Amino acid sequence: MNAMGFAWRSLVRQPARASLGVLGVAAVGALLFDMLLLSNGLVISMRGLLERTGFDLRVTATDALPGSGPLIPKAVGVTQAISKLPSVRSAVALRFANATIQNGTPRGLFAAFQGVSATATHPWTILQGRDIATGAEVVINENTAERLRIKPGASITLRAACTGDEQALPPATFTAVGIAQFPFDTPNGITVAASLEQVAEACGGNEVDEADVIMAASQETAGPDAAVADVSRLFPDLKALSNAEAVSRFERGGFTYFRQISTVLTTVTLGFAVLLITVLLTVSINQRLGEIAALRALGFSRWRVVADVFCESVLIVGGGGLLSLPLGAALAVGLDHILKRIPGIPADVHFFVYQPSALQMHLLLLAATAVVAALYPIRVVATLPIAATLRDEVVG
Amino acid sequence: MSRFWVALIAAVLAGTALRAADDLPSVLISRQLAETERLRIGDVVRLSPTADGTGVQQFRIGGIYEPTPDPARLGAVIREVQLHLPDLLNLTRESGTPAGSEYVQRINVALVNPEDASRFSRDVQARMPGVQAQPAAGAAESTGPFIVLRRFHLAIAIVTILASTVFLLALTIMLVDERRTAVGVLRLIGFPSHRIIFQLFLEGVLIASVGSLFGLLLSLVSEGLINRFFQWRYDTALVFVHVTPQVAATCVAIAVPLGVSATVVASWALLRRNGLRLARR
Repeated sequence: MNAMGFAWRSLVRQPARASLGVLGVAAVGALLFDMLLLSNGLVISMRGLLERTGFDLRVTATDALPGSGPLIPKAVGVTQAISKLPSVRSAVALRFANATIQNGTPRGLFAAFQGVSATATHPWTILQGRDIATGAEVVINENTAERLRIKPGASITLRAACTGDEQALPPATFTAVGIAQFPFDTPNGITVAASLEQVAEACGGNEVDEADVIMAASQETAGPDAAVADVSRLFPDLKALSNAEAVSRFERGGFTYFRQISTVLTTVTLGFAVLLITVLLTVSINQRLGEIAALRALGFSRWRVVADVFCESVLIVGGGGLLSLPLGAALAVGLDHILKRIPGIPADVHFFVYQPSALQMHLLLLAATAVVAALYPIRVVATLPIAATLRDEVVG
Repeated sequence: MSRFWVALIAAVLAGTALRAADDLPSVLISRQLAETERLRIGDVVRLSPTADGTGVQQFRIGGIYEPTPDPARLGAVIREVQLHLPDLLNLTRESGTPAGSEYVQRINVALVNPEDASRFSRDVQARMPGVQAQPAAGAAESTGPFIVLRRFHLAIAIVTILASTVFLLALTIMLVDERRTAVGVLRLIGFPSHRIIFQLFLEGVLIASVGSLFGLLLSLVSEGLINRFFQWRYDTALVFVHVTPQVAATCVAIAVPLGVSATVVASWALLRRNGLRLARR
C-alpha cells in the first residue's frame, strides 16, 4: 500500500476527528479564498466598468475627480476639437448636477442630473423608449421610472442644484423620452440625463458651455496612450487620463483599505490554519507513536513514515481546500452584498471578483500550509527512537 | 465650497512663500500641505478664491495642524488652509455683496454639558425650522460606510468563530481521547460520571479562560501594530483598530462558553462508554 492509501486509512479510522479537521480547513480556506478575491476585486471590477462604457479617455480641468473639481470652460468647442484628433474616434462632454424631482412627491425626489453634449454616442444604454434629441427631453433610469411610476412620454418637473452653494432655481419641465441604464448608477440611485444645453438652462444659465469631464474613445489603431498624448498636447491646461491611469489612481485611493485589510486577514487566516493543522497532526501522531514505532520495527523506512504523515496533512488540507471553494463562493456573495451598501458604490461594481490568479494563489497558499503544518509532526516521526518508544508502550 | 478649496490650494502651490510681516492675518495649514510645499510657521502665502489667481490676499502662517482624521478621505493627501471666518468671508465675498450678508454651511456648538446634545438639537430644530441640528456622535454613527464596515467585520468574525469552533471540537475530541485510559481507571475505582465530567468542565473553564486572556493580550499587541501600519500607510491619525472594554468582554463572553462547551461535548461521548472498555489497552 502506498503512503497516500495508508494516510487515507489512518484518517478514515477516526472519521469524527478527520471530518472536523477537513471542515475546519474548509471554513478557514473559504475565508482565505474570499480575502484573495477581495484584494483586487474592486479594482478589476472598476476597470471592467470603465471599459464597458465604451470610452477609454477622461479629460478634466484639474486632478480632482469629475464632479468635485472646477468645470472645463468652452466644453463644446473643446469636445469637438478632441473628437477631430486622428487618434480619437469620438468624444462627449458631461456635466454633473443634482436635482429634486417634484412629480407629486411631497418632499421631492433627490436625483443625479447629467448633461451630455450632442454626439452620436451617449454614455448610457437605452432600455425602453428612445434617446434624447433636441428640446426639453430627458432619459431616466429604471429606479426613477419605478419610484415615479412613469413610462416614456411622461413629464418630469425638477428643480436643479448645480453648485455647492444654496440655490433657489425655478423648476423646469422635461419629457422623459426613454428609460436607460447608466454604468455608474448606484443600486438605489435616481438618475436623469439631458443635453448639456438643457442642463445649463435648468442651472439658471450661468454656466453655459461648461462640463465636468470630457470622455473620449480612442481609435483602435492609435490606442489610449497616443490619444492621451494628443489631447495633452492640444490642451496643456487640461488633465487627460486613460482608463489604465484612472484605475491606477483608483488603486492608490481610499479603497486600498480593502486590499490592506485583505492582506492582514490573509496573513492571520494562514497563520491560524498552520497552527491548528500542526496541532491536529501532532496530537494525532503523539497518540500513535507506539503504532509508528512498531511499523518502523517491521521494516517501514524513516522516509515512508514521514511520507505517511505528509500525506495525512495533504489529505486534510486538500479535502478542506476543495470544500472551501464552493463555501468561499457562497460567502463572497454574502459579503459582497454587505459591502455594496456603502453609499455611492455603482451597482455594477463588486468587491469580490473571481480571477484565475486568485484561485492559483489560493491553491499555492493551501499547498504551502500543508507543507509547513506537517513539518513539526514529520520531525517527531523522523526522530522517533524505535526501541525506547516500544519499551515505553509495553511498560506503560 | 470644494471648488473654492481647490482654487485656494492651487493658489497656495503657485504662491511665493515670503518672510513674515506681523500685521498680516494668520492662517493655519495642514501638516501635509506644509510638508509637500515646505512651508513653515511665519511664512507668508498668497491665497486666491479663484483658479486664475484673481483677488489675491496675503496671509501669514500662524501654525501647522494635523487634520481631523476622516475615513471618507482615506488615502487623500489633505492640503488644507484654515482661515478665521471674517478673513475667509473677506477673501471670497463677491463685489457688490454687502458685508454681513454671507452665509455659513455649518456651526459647531460645544455644550457645557455634552449629555444635553440630543435635547439641544431638538430645541434648535423646533425653534428654527429649516435648520438641521444633529449631535456629533449621532452624525458619525449615521454615516453609511461605518455601519457597512461594521457589518462586514461582524460577518468575518462570525466565519472565524465558526472555523475556530470546528477546530476546537476536533482538538478537544483528540485531547479527551488521549485521556481515555485515565478516565476509564477513574470510573473503575468508583468515580461517578458526573464527578468526572465536572472535573473536565472545570478544566475546560480554566483552559478557555487562560486562552481568552492570551487572545486579548495578542489583540492588544496587534492593535498597536495594525494601527501603526495603517497610519503610516495612509499618513493619517485615524485609529483603525480599537479594543474597547466592551469588545474585550464580548470576546471573552463568546470564547469561554465555546471552549467549555467543546470540552463537555467531546467528553460526554467518552463517558457514555463502559469503564472497562475505556481502561483496556
